[in-house]
Amino acid sequence: MKSPSFITVLSGLLTFGGILSAQEPTAPLLQSGDRIVLVGNTLFERARLFGQIETTLQIATGPEVKGITLRNLGWSGDSVFGDSRSYFGPPSEGRDRLARNLGETNPSVVLISYGTEAAMSVDQGWTDDAAHAAATAAGIEASRDVFLAGYEALIELVRKSSGESLREIVLISPPPLENLGAPLPDQTENNRRLAIFRDGIRDLAKKNSLRFVDLFAQMGGDSFKGGVAKPALTEDGVHYSEAGHAIVARELAKGLGYSEGSLIDRNLPAYEELKAAVIEKDRFFFHRWRPANETYLFLFRKHEQGQNAKEIPMFDPLIVAEEKKIEEARTRVFAGMTRN
Amino acid sequence: MKLSFSNRVATILTLGAITSLSHAQNGLRGIPDTAVEAQLNAFKLIEGAKINLFASEPAVANPTHMNWDQRGRLWVVSSPLYPHIQPGQEEQDKIVILEDTNGDGVADKHTDFATNLHIPTAVLPGDGGVYVANSVEVLFLRDTDGDDVADERKVVLSGFGTEDTHHLLHTFRWGPEGMIWMNQSIYIHTHLETPYGVRRLLGGGMWHFRPETRRAEVFMKGLVNSWGHVFDEWGQSFMTDGAGGQGINYVFPRSVFLSSPGASRILPGLNPGQPKHCGVEALTGRHVPDTLRGALAAPDFRGSRINLFQLTDKGSAYTSTQIADLVSSTHGAFRPIDVKMGPDGAVYIADWYNPIIQHGEVDFRDPRRDHAHGRIWRITFDGKELVKAPDLVKASEADLIQHSNAPEGWTREAATVELRARQPEAVQAALESARAPAGVDPDLFALRKVWTSQALQRFDAAGAAALLSSSNHKARAAALRAIYYDAATNPEALSLAEKAIADPHPQVRLWGVSVLAQLSSPDTVKIALGALEGIELDEFLDFALWSICREHADRWTTAAQTGNPFANTTQLLFAVRALNQAVAVPQILSALGSGELPSDAQVTGVADWISKVGSAADLNALFEFALTEGAKPAHQTTILQALANAGSLRKLQPAGDTARLSRFLQSPDLATFTGAASLAGLWKLESAREGLRAAFLNAPTDEAKGRAALEGLIALGGPPTATMLDEIAKNAQSDYLLRSLAVIGRTKMDPNEGAKLAVAVLTEAPQGKDLHGIFDAFLANKQGPVALSNALSGATLPQAIALAGVQKASSAATKPEALVAALQKAGTIKPMKMALTPAEMEAMMKQVATLGDPHAGEVIYRRTALQCVVCHAIGGAGGVIGPDMVSIGASAPVDYLIESLLEPSKKIKEGYHTTLVTLKNGDSFAGAIAREDTNELVVRDAIGKENRIPKTEIASNQISPVSLMPPGLTAQLREDEFIHLVRFLSELGKDGDFKTPSNRFIRHWQTLMPHPSTRDRIGHYGSKIFTEAVSDYSWAPVYATVAGAVPVGELPEIEGRGKNRLGVARTFIEVKNAGPVKLRITGKLADLDLFHGETEIAMPDGAETEITLDVKEPGRQKLTFAGLKGSGIEGVTVEVLDDASRAELVELNNF
Repeated sequence: MKSPSFITVLSGLLTFGGILSAQEPTAPLLQSGDRIVLVGNTLFERARLFGQIETTLQIATGPEVKGITLRNLGWSGDSVFGDSRSYFGPPSEGRDRLARNLGETNPSVVLISYGTEAAMSVDQGWTDDAAHAAATAAGIEASRDVFLAGYEALIELVRKSSGESLREIVLISPPPLENLGAPLPDQTENNRRLAIFRDGIRDLAKKNSLRFVDLFAQMGGDSFKGGVAKPALTEDGVHYSEAGHAIVARELAKGLGYSEGSLIDRNLPAYEELKAAVIEKDRFFFHRWRPANETYLFLFRKHEQGQNAKEIPMFDPLIVAEEKKIEEARTRVFAGMTRN
Repeated sequence: MKLSFSNRVATILTLGAITSLSHAQNGLRGIPDTAVEAQLNAFKLIEGAKINLFASEPAVANPTHMNWDQRGRLWVVSSPLYPHIQPGQEEQDKIVILEDTNGDGVADKHTDFATNLHIPTAVLPGDGGVYVANSVEVLFLRDTDGDDVADERKVVLSGFGTEDTHHLLHTFRWGPEGMIWMNQSIYIHTHLETPYGVRRLLGGGMWHFRPETRRAEVFMKGLVNSWGHVFDEWGQSFMTDGAGGQGINYVFPRSVFLSSPGASRILPGLNPGQPKHCGVEALTGRHVPDTLRGALAAPDFRGSRINLFQLTDKGSAYTSTQIADLVSSTHGAFRPIDVKMGPDGAVYIADWYNPIIQHGEVDFRDPRRDHAHGRIWRITFDGKELVKAPDLVKASEADLIQHSNAPEGWTREAATVELRARQPEAVQAALESARAPAGVDPDLFALRKVWTSQALQRFDAAGAAALLSSSNHKARAAALRAIYYDAATNPEALSLAEKAIADPHPQVRLWGVSVLAQLSSPDTVKIALGALEGIELDEFLDFALWSICREHADRWTTAAQTGNPFANTTQLLFAVRALNQAVAVPQILSALGSGELPSDAQVTGVADWISKVGSAADLNALFEFALTEGAKPAHQTTILQALANAGSLRKLQPAGDTARLSRFLQSPDLATFTGAASLAGLWKLESAREGLRAAFLNAPTDEAKGRAALEGLIALGGPPTATMLDEIAKNAQSDYLLRSLAVIGRTKMDPNEGAKLAVAVLTEAPQGKDLHGIFDAFLANKQGPVALSNALSGATLPQAIALAGVQKASSAATKPEALVAALQKAGTIKPMKMALTPAEMEAMMKQVATLGDPHAGEVIYRRTALQCVVCHAIGGAGGVIGPDMVSIGASAPVDYLIESLLEPSKKIKEGYHTTLVTLKNGDSFAGAIAREDTNELVVRDAIGKENRIPKTEIASNQISPVSLMPPGLTAQLREDEFIHLVRFLSELGKDGDFKTPSNRFIRHWQTLMPHPSTRDRIGHYGSKIFTEAVSDYSWAPVYATVAGAVPVGELPEIEGRGKNRLGVARTFIEVKNAGPVKLRITGKLADLDLFHGETEIAMPDGAETEITLDVKEPGRQKLTFAGLKGSGIEGVTVEVLDDASRAELVELNNF
């Protein structure tokens, strides 16, 4: 399937969202040489398959800003407590792992996005962290409070573990959920909950003097009335499709201080080359930071296959080579824009 | 000349030097011929079956899974990339569509549907495309332009773990209700964000997923490698396990099995000790011979064969009986990993084709791994016509409903998948006017209509409710399962479940409990516990009830604070024990006192529960119950044990006068005395010291009691105990046992003090053996090894005892290297050379192949001194500490076997890692975690003993890199013996004499140890004396050989008449109903006396006979035989010819 052109998607979004909420103007986030690291759950994990977030940011900065790199540490189903990252141990081991990954990726800018997993599971519990598991199943207020306390601890962990290059941490609210009609469930109530979590994240950002991107509002969450989405930007009401990710990327860029005018027509051939290089780089990085067979390569059965762990850093030169392609494609994109 | 193996390494070195083969070729020597003909010639098929090649490389390479589409095309995923992507390697694993366009049973067309996958492990066509497990995600691939090549790729679910690529999400299958069922294995941790909230599954288990609603839910948890799942005709689920070895597993909602992390209780499989399986399919349809129809086919990929099992009902679950193999092969690369019935009624087998099956144990980059071959085989049956598959794509809705009632499982499933693609209104209209085809059970027809309604998202709740009135319990259970999935939104579910709880059939009750577990009613537990009434409770129903009492605890515990929310005290006791918390304690204790809970099981239940959750006052109430005039001795023993557990695990003692314990210290009964001695110590009863001291000093006469007294004295502690033990240990005139026990006791009190005494006592060890466990005492304490190595500094020990110590220390989970070195120095032992160089390994493998005799090897394997059998079973016959060896030879290369014998810690099988638990007081326990709950962890150690450890006392808990198997076990062997042993192991599971046959041989036996009375009494009464309940007869475990025989020559010599020497063994079978049970006996029958109970069964001459036991009293039947040694009687086999529903084999731990 070909991805719908940006224009089609944008007009779709305008119909769907009504009006995009006004955003306070902020200074553009990125500087030359920045290393962006994404920390979050399914939204970010699947972003690696589409490549839109990085591609959009690479263009949005304009040609003067150079050498931007991105490492995606998104993990499906993750919580602010590190549930998905923990493998055989309790969530605290997931946090240890995240701290290690942050140290290894050496970020200057960390974009964090959590909240969907919690807002959707308030009556069921959404973490196995022993100190908080019960509270996360005890209604919206208790769940939100635990979420925010965990989030604040996570911010502290990011500050401590990211190394000296860290310049900014940005909190990003989850985008809204969609109603796609029966037999998929109605998400009106969950969107109401998500708004409550969003408010908490916004206040947390303010309290910690951090940038905040209100993806929920920007993508129409506040004006959601329960109607069936047309066209749908998600596959199932929760997870954004390729077309949906184009909008997520664009709104994220705007929330990070880039104007509508800095974004480009995605039909340029060089844009596709740039995106392909981003996706390929992310594929290599995935095998690097989250390799299969960890039990044998690094954990309690490493006496059996630890000898093969030497292969894992061999993905590094492949990543570097792909990044060179990204930089070259980016140059061609700007050249194409100039020609336009 | 007898040379130990380690001495011979030098010889092997020389041999290695003269061989010209390089190391790289070394491993490759065993690669089988890759020609299709070579595989065809190696098959052995069940009678009347034929096999042909359906497809092979290059179309298919290393297939991992397969499924059919509605058009009768076979979709296969294959992964040459497995086990791990190399940097720079493309993700090019494939889905291929195989098609037999002319119906000749051979695929003549193949199309690569997708070629961009990363270790895909499941494929399932449907919904206009195909679902694929692709490592971390489930993809839906679709072809939108009709060229059979995917051009649309969407992620449907993401968040599956990849911690081990042979555990990845796998085993996709459409359920009859139109959901996708999928499994994951032990190391996988999955985190899904579904539209209904986050769903996590940490460890193995099974999911069901409905694509159109995107609802994914966990159905069951556990199993090591849950690589097979099949539905029977009534929609019940059966799973197989590629590493658990319990054959067929019956699973139901919330059931938990082996290896589920944090499980406090697990269920067993239906065939303990069976080979491990990948895949499982039900043989259905008209082409399958009548005798095989309904059997489950489970590929034993290690043993290169496909096992068959027949199920029969048993209580709320089933018994599973293994029958003949469908197919087996002597070709070492035949690896059947999936089996599916095809559209033509034939059986199709995916052959992963690989001489190497291992993942963790064999290097990812081992050159013997095959990445190029793969085969799909097809089995047909003589004299049976093939089935003509209907054209489902062109069929009308009405026809499809008829097809969903076909005799062939393939047709039924494919018709349901096709119906999902049709207009729901049209299907519903057709459903309403459908009539049952001739010959179809009306209940099955009604059930299938309900399933179809579910597949359309239009659940026929009334149809399901009506089925609950069927006279067939299978229909009633199936109706409840249909209701289960959406029970939370079904207003009738509660009343239907309540009806099911009172059902006469336990399986219907089990499903009633399962439905209740889905509901939010405050009364779910109260209703569920009604299932305890009026029937015999079996393990599966018990589990379901236990589970709901815990899951819905907040619905009944408040009411239980003050009264009994349930129908009676038995129900209350069940619930509070399940919860394992201090709820309703006064009510239960009062019921105990008033005799409302009279049975032994109930008293044990109360005592065990109070010991875990009760207060000091509660313990006192329990103590007083034991002190009551006229209390049953068995109850007293139980209660003392419980109080001792409370004392040692929870540091809690009864609130009242503890000195009342003294009367139990007089007890002649060992169990009572042991409990009392331990309590005297725990309760610090100084008044008991003298009595304990006397019992301890009497240890040479009564060791068990002496050891119990010692434990009491240690716990009592203080200078009096220390001085007494010091004096005994230092006194060279004391009995050696006493001196050893004194060292052990002192070590437990203070390892440094114990170490000061130990060297002198060890020096005098008789025959250099550590008879009483002095080394073990040091190894069981964190400070022990250091204390002993310090004491050994500058000392000398006899070589034999030092060697015994090295052996024990080398297999200790704490890896006490300093102690090993100190022992080697003290005993002037040169470190044993355990690792072989590549050249030595080369030479050794060659010798195994040319000189090894597997029959001689089996005899060596069974030697008591080698201890193999104590820990390892072969086909369920043997210990359970280590992995079952049933097909080790067919799955493991010879170099792996040699290395594992010499260096057990180098490669450790999953599930057999040692966990090392260290307590705050320094005690350490090493073994496997048997189970755990919120309060305690139970560790099973190397001798099978279960140690209960309070979690609050645990300082650390880690996986040890050391195997429970001691190194050097084979050091006592001569080189030729070692070679025979390896050859024997390398033959296990391969086609031939060492593939465990599926016959129901009795493999668990006990043998009589020599007894002084037999010689005199046999003269008067004959062999019948062995059937009598003589209280001091001592019976030791013995297991049958791989071929099923009890070798009479190996049994201890029992003195008979004159110079006659006999081997005597006994066993048990469980028979539910009176009537005949058929057995086949082989051996030299003229020299064999056989008894059923105390009745002798006449033996004819000859070597084989069939006999019929006339079972008058149902229940446990004892069989005893006495065989004349030295008469040429080599082995005796006893085979049960009836299936498991008629007569069950009893395992040794249940003797």
